[in-house]
Amino acid sequence: MLSKVLIANRGEIALRIIAACREAGLATVAVHSEADRDCLHVRMADQSVCIGPPPAKASYLNIASVIAAAEITGADAVHPGYGFLAENAHFAEVVGECGMTWIGPSPEAIRRMGDKSQARRTAVGCGVPILPGSANPLTSREEAVTLAEEIGFPVILKASAGGGGKGMRVAVDARALHHAFDTARMEAERAFGVGDLYLEKYLDHPRHIEVQVLGDQYGRIVALGERECSIQRRHQKLIEESPSPAADEELRTRMCEAAAAAARAVAYTSAGTVEFLYQDGQFFFMEMNTRVQVEHPVTEAVSGVDIVLEQLRIAAGLPLSLKRRPRLRGHAIELRINAEDPVTFAPSAGTITELGFPVGPGVRIDTHLYRGYRVPPYYDSLVAKLIVWGRDRQEAVRRARRALDTFLIGGVKTSIPLHRRILEEPDFLAGRLSTHFLDRLIRPETG
Amino acid sequence: MLKFEELCQLIRVVAEQKVSSVEIEQDGMRIRIDGPPAPLPAGTPLLGGSLAPVAFSPSAASAPGASTDGQGEGIGADEAGLVFVTSPIVGTFYRAPNPEAPPFVEVGAVVRKGQVLCIVEAMKLMNEIESDVSGVVVRAYAENAQPVEFGQRLFALRSA
Repeated sequence: MLSKVLIANRGEIALRIIAACREAGLATVAVHSEADRDCLHVRMADQSVCIGPPPAKASYLNIASVIAAAEITGADAVHPGYGFLAENAHFAEVVGECGMTWIGPSPEAIRRMGDKSQARRTAVGCGVPILPGSANPLTSREEAVTLAEEIGFPVILKASAGGGGKGMRVAVDARALHHAFDTARMEAERAFGVGDLYLEKYLDHPRHIEVQVLGDQYGRIVALGERECSIQRRHQKLIEESPSPAADEELRTRMCEAAAAAARAVAYTSAGTVEFLYQDGQFFFMEMNTRVQVEHPVTEAVSGVDIVLEQLRIAAGLPLSLKRRPRLRGHAIELRINAEDPVTFAPSAGTITELGFPVGPGVRIDTHLYRGYRVPPYYDSLVAKLIVWGRDRQEAVRRARRALDTFLIGGVKTSIPLHRRILEEPDFLAGRLSTHFLDRLIRPETG
Repeated sequence: MLKFEELCQLIRVVAEQKVSSVEIEQDGMRIRIDGPPAPLPAGTPLLGGSLAPVAFSPSAASAPGASTDGQGEGIGADEAGLVFVTSPIVGTFYRAPNPEAPPFVEVGAVVRKGQVLCIVEAMKLMNEIESDVSGVVVRAYAENAQPVEFGQRLFALRSA
């Protein structure tokens, strides 16, 4: 049994969790930084506690403060939302040690899926395909070429210490790989102090497709179908939809089975997402996100399942409210509205001077905005999620366009104009998507 | 017109008696006080063990969202020149090192910079809160064993 849930988060997701708690008859405690005193989650929760100064490190990421807030308010459960401490296994453990219920997967499952190489081993162990590549750092150019010929070109070299494209090279044949190897190693050495490289198969037009899963404490794992999240910039998703335009029932079944197998391998409980890269009929395990995701409403719209409410049920020790994978109904698209320049992507903090929401069938808006709210410069730029539903993709797109046209946000720059542009792109309308879509749209010459 | 004390009393009564709403009109002024939200009718809870309405913030008989650190009250004339000691952490406030001991400081006490004024307990750790200045304690805001938030005012001092 749960009675009072502390929400260790802010913004729209804190409001989303409060909504689920209210529906479940649970009391809520909001925590906030000094910069978030005037946030809606602080007003909507039954109780609130200021836990620190504006920087997240000193407030939302401060485990001692969050736990102390739970203790002084008598909360008996903690929902971490997404981001901040959501995938911090240590925090999950502390919550448990303090006698409270953690609304999420076990610390053990978070750890096993949080470590990239361990997660890959787990996937292989339960028969889920991963992108072929080198298991250990490459020792020589010759080893690289031999391996590349084995798995097939093109391949990509990556720095083990990785990040930001440094030490990264795509090679289309053995000759190119020969040349790329030394430069990549030198670049990696200069950037990270370690020249270790590994190699994997390069997908030149991959889609990001992920599967939502739910697991209860009785070992039941149910997949809720897939989401296509290929429209992203620097691994930040911008538009998500379900079902994926690339998936038929056969692919959906295969991906859902793979995702459920991976979740089962770590005895997964709560909501989680298994992410895959997909290209030309093949899919490869990337990672598992052990939390509720930003884009969960897309799945809620087509499956009819309230994912956050299921998280509460699972944490309370109740069985999942569904026995098997639900049939997806219609088509849903989520557009992330960020307070940022639609061209330069520079964050745009400021006061909301005007606010008007779209109305009409098939529209859902998850947001913490209100007129007069000051978007602080300290946190994520996501200020609203527009989720549209239609009987098919075309209807969903039409509804998305008209919703964007009547979505009024004054005082800060937002990504609304960029969304409006994407919704006219022939490739988007045809469902021809890849993770390179947005880069090519923004900088056509480098595509 | 209602006196401030009367208004406070009324708010307490509304909260304690779980009155849903009270509206008073007097001398051209109207005051409305909404009580805690009514519990859902029996049988509706999906999960909740307790559906009892929940009191607002630990430190607050204030409206939700209202500042509880006193900053929202504005600086009154009598606050000019005062130095406020605020809680650096979330936790439970203690005026004395143990239940039997006398308080670290009382109002009117003269304190040195660095002197311990109170303890804030968080996660079983006793954090001693020291005075930033030398001066006289003119006000103590928090009750013993009361939960306090980050940044909440604990003492006001007039610096020497």
